[in-house]
Amino acid sequence: MTTKRLSIQRYLPEQGNNTPYWQDFDIPFDDSTSVLDALNYVKEELDGSLSYRWSCRMAICGSCGVMVNNTPKLGCQSFLRDYEGPVKIAPLAHFPVEKDLIIDMGLFLDHLAAVQPYLINDSRLINDSEEGTETFKQTPAQMEKYKQFAGCINCGLCYSACPQFGLNPEFLGPAALTLAHRYNLDSRDQGKKQRMPQMNREEGVWSCTFVGFCSEVCPKNVDPAAAVNQGKVESAKDMLIGIFKG
Amino acid sequence: MAKRTSYFPELKRNWWLKHPYFKKYMAREATVLPLVFFLLCLLAGLYSLLQGAESWQGWLTFMQSPLVIAVNALAFIASLFHAWTFFQLFPRVMPLRAGGRTLPPNLMVLGQWFGVVVVMVLAAWIFMRGL
Amino acid sequence: MREQDIDIVIVGGGGAGLRAAIAAAESARKEHRQQRIMLLSKVYPMRSHTVSAEGGAAAVTSEEDSLQAHFDDTVAGGDWLAEQGVVDYFIRHAHRELVQMERWGCPWSRKPDGSVQVRRFGGMKTARTWFAADKTGFHMLHTLFQTSLKYPEIERLDEYFVLDIAVVAGAVAGVIALEIATGELILLRAKSVILATGGAGRLFRFNTNAGIVTGDGMAMAFRHGVALRDMEFVQYHPTGLPGSGVLITEACRGEGGILVNKDGYRYLQDYGLGPETLLGHPQNKYMELGPRDKLSQAFWQEQQSGRTGKFGDSDVVYLDLRHLGKEYLHERLPFICELANVFINVDPVKEPIPIRPAVHYTMGGIETDAHCETRIKGLYAAGECASVGLHGANRLGSNSLSELLVFGRLAGEEASQRAATVTFADSTALKEQAQAQKIRIAKLYDAEGEENWVELKRELVLTMETGCGIYREVAGMQTTLDMIRDLQTRYRNIRLQDKSRAYNTELMQCLELGYGLDIAEATCLGALERKESRGAHKRLEEDLQQRDDVNYLKHSQVFFNAEGPAQLRWQDVDTHLSAPAERAYGDAGKGIKQ
Ligand SMILES: Cc1cc2nc3c(=O)[nH]c(=O)nc-3n(C[C@H](O)[C@H](O)[C@H](O)COP(=O)(O)OP(=O)(O)OC[C@H]3O[C@@H](n4cnc5c(N)ncnc54)[C@H](O)[C@@H]3O)c2cc1C
Ligand code: SF4
Ligand code: FES
Repeated sequence: MTTKRLSIQRYLPEQGNNTPYWQDFDIPFDDSTSVLDALNYVKEELDGSLSYRWSCRMAICGSCGVMVNNTPKLGCQSFLRDYEGPVKIAPLAHFPVEKDLIIDMGLFLDHLAAVQPYLINDSRLINDSEEGTETFKQTPAQMEKYKQFAGCINCGLCYSACPQFGLNPEFLGPAALTLAHRYNLDSRDQGKKQRMPQMNREEGVWSCTFVGFCSEVCPKNVDPAAAVNQGKVESAKDMLIGIFKG
Repeated sequence: MAKRTSYFPELKRNWWLKHPYFKKYMAREATVLPLVFFLLCLLAGLYSLLQGAESWQGWLTFMQSPLVIAVNALAFIASLFHAWTFFQLFPRVMPLRAGGRTLPPNLMVLGQWFGVVVVMVLAAWIFMRGL
Repeated sequence: MREQDIDIVIVGGGGAGLRAAIAAAESARKEHRQQRIMLLSKVYPMRSHTVSAEGGAAAVTSEEDSLQAHFDDTVAGGDWLAEQGVVDYFIRHAHRELVQMERWGCPWSRKPDGSVQVRRFGGMKTARTWFAADKTGFHMLHTLFQTSLKYPEIERLDEYFVLDIAVVAGAVAGVIALEIATGELILLRAKSVILATGGAGRLFRFNTNAGIVTGDGMAMAFRHGVALRDMEFVQYHPTGLPGSGVLITEACRGEGGILVNKDGYRYLQDYGLGPETLLGHPQNKYMELGPRDKLSQAFWQEQQSGRTGKFGDSDVVYLDLRHLGKEYLHERLPFICELANVFINVDPVKEPIPIRPAVHYTMGGIETDAHCETRIKGLYAAGECASVGLHGANRLGSNSLSELLVFGRLAGEEASQRAATVTFADSTALKEQAQAQKIRIAKLYDAEGEENWVELKRELVLTMETGCGIYREVAGMQTTLDMIRDLQTRYRNIRLQDKSRAYNTELMQCLELGYGLDIAEATCLGALERKESRGAHKRLEEDLQQRDDVNYLKHSQVFFNAEGPAQLRWQDVDTHLSAPAERAYGDAGKGIKQ
């Protein structure tokens, strides 16, 4: 089996290292070895103290984001076979690093929660009767409008790709704004009015300068850049209407 | 509660040199510079026209200097480049729908370029007629 | 140690835990009760394993379908080992829960008229499975998580690893957890506790489960005297990708995919599932739409007869989807196309997908009554970690996502009600138990033994696969059981490489292994003692290949024993609605009441 050199950024404050440093490991690999497999190999065979997050190992839980050669990637979905030469692995950019490859996700979750990412509808029905309950109607075409934006796995890669978030962590960021837009576009939802103030803020859609890298790195083709910029159109309309209404 | 000791790497001013994608983004943003120059030229032209024939002549000579032509050619290319990036992005910002289906982005990009050509031909026609 | 008083503590942020939290909040609101609800999870809720579920959730929906039919399918699918009262409750409540999900925004796939679409699933008589493309679990989990944000009364402690429950005088009194970010312990005093910690598929080497599915909650309840019930029933999913074990959903077969051996022959017709159905015309309960246990067993037989192909070092058969066409595949099974492409570099549009069975689901779990309560007062369990009695000896695909909702909700409501009527336990006794946990962790840190968790884990998952695989026989199981007990001894002599407090993921994995060893023992013991073949439990011995209702129409209950090996007892099954009958599929199943 051939081996590949992995340079992993380590950060171990408890061991008295207050700055990160690089450590090299040689990993045996074949066609099916993912970056996550490689990290697991390091942990199980070479250094049990290496810390990183993972769970589903099938690109759906969103835990395993890392920078692979300076680009945000899901570890379980990136394969060593696709990289020439040594592979550099670092924690996701623009987030505080807690230990090795583990970042603090707290702010990301706050941003998600801030946009009221749930269906808002007056005809709310908590069905107490056992039968006779009905779903909303929604045609495939109506669903098509938001479906892509509902595919976000909250992995945070887009935040690491976004220089605006890097410069100002208060920026709600691609995933949160996409989620807001997803609900705004849902034919069953009536909560747009409640969500717009968040989007209208400077830290809302208007911090975005359409770099577009977020959509490039998104592992689920959610296209957050599109959502955010559609959000700008909505926000502009909303503010205009606001002006006319006084 | 034990204190968390996290490390927060600040974004340096040269952040955009770190990835090819960011360089491309910066190039797109930088297209504004030659365009600004071109606009300044236009303004200067207007101003000199008001100042009288002499200064108009001066402006014309200035405009014919190779450097200025080069910069303005650059501005033209930059604006085409900018239009290209913009046209690529447009379908994602304003997805148009027809008959319940989103129009394919390629078609929209083509449509926009078609628009550009139409405008240019129109402008050229008006300009020629004026001569 | 930090301490907090919380009315209702929920351990686990998967589908069951989140549904329970919302139900508790709703019920408290309705009754005007001020209650603190705390949800703890060792991963952020949306990372929970529910996110991986692909196929769908079952409920009687269409005109032609009936509650009786869903009942019969579930009971027969479980080889008459399901609690029939529980099944009855389940089928009656599944539909309203799926509707509720829709009302919360879940993007169920639709028909052109805007109503919800259903698809076929293995072992179900008619199409009754709701789905959101092939990412049903993902959409359900995110919908639940996002909806939970609407309730300020639901507090969360994300990335807290629960170490133990505290029990005082036969009633639950709280939980002790470790904050992963700092390594600090926290004691939550509680009136009700709901365990929703998921299954234990990671006990086996080759599985479809996420890394966190290690059965922690089962082991905690077990150690406090709650029975683990029907643990010997472990579902193998017939279609996992070779190598990683990543799941290729049953919906592929529901949509018309076929299984062939290395000669291109649809071998299922040789195993009581025929006759062969027409290509592009899947038929419920025939061929590829037989139940999972039968399909996995058929694979094993083909493998024994040398009719399987090879992919890497795995023996495989092939799932052929090509006849469905590119457009249909990309619309209905986009995730499957992506997974096959990424993980094994196969494009399902052009090539058949090599697959093999992989451990998928834990039918057994923490014994509860029909109201999700365990024998410890105030301790509830719901979801895959629980054995409320729905699945019997074999779970039907798409019944468990509905289960999370139906019983998650029930547990949440019951827990809220109980919390309104009892007071917090005296904290001295609680603190003692918390202290014991503190010592346990300190010991792990200080231990200077020579054993390494990686080695122990590898031996465990390997021996589980050989001893408690698709087919089982006494010698293999005995070896495995002895091995597990030996591993338990060796576990006491373990040593951590990482001594740091913050994010000590090695410590987590060690703790999970400790829990896993307990559950493995219960699983293997149940398998060894069940001297018959039923559902997912298949014995190889000549005289044990049939179901034996005279002696084994019973649940196995395994009890923890601090002094020695775990103890097994048998418990009667509730069969008051449908007497055991033959379980048959394909043409053999025609005319049999199921
Ligand atoms: C690949 C795959 C596909 C599936 N597809 C389907 C399908 O199509 N239809 C269907 O009906 N079923 C399906 N299933 C089964 C179904 O998804 C699971 O049974 C179900 O999701 C389990 O949900 P849960 O809420 O019980 O547990 P989980 O979602 O596993 O959640 C467990 C939670 O407990 C927490 N936890 C565990 N231990 C601790 C601890 N010590 N401390 C703190 N927190 C802890 C975890 O963090 C997590 O939040 C599938 C399963 C798999 C593996
Ligand atoms: S939008 Fe894409 S990159 Fe961003 S968090 Fe969601 S899935 Fe990840
Ligand atoms: S491990 Fe779940 S996304 Fe990679």
